[in-house]
Amino acid sequence: MIAETTILNALQDKFGVGDLVTQKACDRIPTFWVLRETIHEVLRYLKSEVTQPYKMLYDITAIDERARVHPEGQPASDFTVVYHLLSFDRNAYIRIKVPLKEADLHIPTLTDLWPAANWYEREVWDMFGIVVDGHPHLERILMPKTWVGHPLCKDHPARATEMEPFELPDEKQDREQDALRFRPEDWGMKRTREDHDFIFLNVGPQHPGTHGVLRVVLQLDGEEIVDLVPEIGFHHRGAEKMGERQSWHTFIPYTDRIDYLGGVMNNFAYLRAVETLGDIDVPPRAQVIRVMLAELFRIISHLVWYGTFAQDLGQMSPVFYTFNDRERAFEIIEAVTGARMHPNWFRIGGVAQDLPKGWDGMIRDFLKYFPSRLAEYDREVLQNRIFQARTKGIGGLTMNEAIDWGVTGPNLRACGLAWDFRKKQPYSGYEQYEFDIPTGQQGDCYDRALVRVEEMRQSLRIIEQCLENMPEGSYKSLHPLATPPLKERTMHDIETLITHFLGVSWGPVIPPGEALGAIEATKGNNGYYLVSDGGTTAYRTRIRTPSFAHMQTLPLLCRGLMIPDLLAILGSIDFVLADIDR
Amino acid sequence: MQAWITKPGASRELIRPEEGPLREAVQRSLVLSKLQDLLAWGRKNSIWPFNFGLSCCYVEMATSITSKYDIARFGAEVIRGTPREADLIVIAGTVFIKMAPIIKRLYEQMMEPRWVISMGSCANSGGMYDIYSVVQGVDKFLPVDVYVPGCPPRPDAFMEGLLLLQKAIGTEKRPLSWVVGPQGVERMPHPSQRDLMRAERMKVTNLRTPDSV
Repeated sequence: MIAETTILNALQDKFGVGDLVTQKACDRIPTFWVLRETIHEVLRYLKSEVTQPYKMLYDITAIDERARVHPEGQPASDFTVVYHLLSFDRNAYIRIKVPLKEADLHIPTLTDLWPAANWYEREVWDMFGIVVDGHPHLERILMPKTWVGHPLCKDHPARATEMEPFELPDEKQDREQDALRFRPEDWGMKRTREDHDFIFLNVGPQHPGTHGVLRVVLQLDGEEIVDLVPEIGFHHRGAEKMGERQSWHTFIPYTDRIDYLGGVMNNFAYLRAVETLGDIDVPPRAQVIRVMLAELFRIISHLVWYGTFAQDLGQMSPVFYTFNDRERAFEIIEAVTGARMHPNWFRIGGVAQDLPKGWDGMIRDFLKYFPSRLAEYDREVLQNRIFQARTKGIGGLTMNEAIDWGVTGPNLRACGLAWDFRKKQPYSGYEQYEFDIPTGQQGDCYDRALVRVEEMRQSLRIIEQCLENMPEGSYKSLHPLATPPLKERTMHDIETLITHFLGVSWGPVIPPGEALGAIEATKGNNGYYLVSDGGTTAYRTRIRTPSFAHMQTLPLLCRGLMIPDLLAILGSIDFVLADIDR
Repeated sequence: MQAWITKPGASRELIRPEEGPLREAVQRSLVLSKLQDLLAWGRKNSIWPFNFGLSCCYVEMATSITSKYDIARFGAEVIRGTPREADLIVIAGTVFIKMAPIIKRLYEQMMEPRWVISMGSCANSGGMYDIYSVVQGVDKFLPVDVYVPGCPPRPDAFMEGLLLLQKAIGTEKRPLSWVVGPQGVERMPHPSQRDLMRAERMKVTNLRTPDSV
């Protein structure tokens, strides 16, 4: 509350009282409505003038408000553009909203303030049809260029089965292929320099080095990368639209598939937002189970990265070893949850089931087994001379650049900023664990690798503390919105039976409001910004993913380097395409 | 024709070819077959998959190459980076509308004979993604030989799919040249695994509870 008042006063002093509307949000993030005419100035002020500035542009998104039932407490708006900023000095977010009328969907660009705004604004245009004035390259980013309509508008169909059946005759194939053709002029690129031509090399969307369906077009001067354009959207699964259709409970499995190497880590972020909205408590045992499984998945995700990164740099064997160790961790995951990659294991107010008998033995074995493996990988990979030559000094990022571009997670820590959301904004009891935040100095590929490797050791420490201090008690909250409710509380009389039935069939009704649930996921800050309109589904589900921001830095990291360095950099930033495109 | 085999120390004796060790030796070292069947046998045991993946399923497909599962046991570990050298494309993951033209182009670049495994619910039918950006099953624009269910299928399930494909490849009739009569590839019917295994699966009446590891 104090934080909100100080920033409100600062804004009012600067911009006057009139146009600023305050909104109460469940997550206690200061939320203000600002008019379009002043938004650029307000954000510039927040970034560079206010004391303890908000240096990071965390997210830009929009909400189609036309179907709202409960718009109380907010100004009239057809489409709302929402900005989230993060201040490291204050250790706080701020949320600024701009109301727009349907007939006049224009908003000024922020690309002059934050380079990171570029892709977010393209996404706002692509998904909502809001025109960003002054944007250097306003074009679709997730949907194909040939797409008609803006999918996240409420009047756009959600289901494929509501639309025309998909067909791919030859003329459509040719048209789509033609739309994919890269024209350097569209991107303000020159085809020639003085006396020679540039080569434009297309990498992807099908290429073994891109770790998925990512397309990168390189502008080459000989073998040197002059510039490049990453093209994304080949992996867009419409997860945000899905959130408007699935109930609060049945959306959980979709979150598993966002960062599909992170498993339950995704449930964690989503449920943090849902539980904030519903003011649902999570019992201590469930909190520790969550932390333990999340840290196991951090190790699992990092192991995939470790092996494939070494492979990108020409090492054949590490991937076989790391995947074997991943299997060992999966044995625990499978014993606890019954699944491997997508356990869908967390529930609103707890987890799906208590830990099985014998879980502690498995964890203990893993804790005993894994450190010596990590030591071996140090010798095999990190100390390898070729590995070092390929990664040291390659793809460096300064701390200020990283903040400007919205980089979080290990990639930010590799630049030297010890910023870990588990420490800075603890959730699920992370403040009770002892662990260190590994950091790097150069922000290059090698430091990013070092940070991740050390993070696995720290995760082991956390898991050990979970093992030694697992509390007794329930694995699921007694809160009425906890879904599904504990079985013992359903079979007493007709009342409890009906409540249970409604909760399971329609799902819980979450009161109107909005909340951001952000966690330190495997790849960086993963945040779910949920807006509830008092229904059984989210009114708007916004998924802010770390990989999206990281992928946007690719041109910056690669300029002036060679093609093999591109693959080293792609491997080192550890992204997942589903985490970029959602 | 007369043939004989001498053993060290044994006296030379005449052996009739239709019986005894010679027959055995011939059986061990000669195979009588049609060239067409021989090729099918070779193909089935050396499938070269295309290094192609779309989403989550690809990670499980890649896991099947690593040591615990070791797809090399079935001769299918030669992963090719270009569709021109590959026999098999595994549609491992969600078929996105933006990606569909590219998938089709990649498939067209593969040389005959070529096969398609649809891996995972998304590729089979769209799965849990009945959403505007996803094609509801890769069979909307590609012929599929084997469907592997799961979200994602375990590496074991993928390898079972591969074995089923091998079986199909080993039994299909693919004429080496123009033939009299109906043209084209003749495939043996492959009935649904669900129907084949139903009787055995129904025998299981006790499932282990998840309460202990």
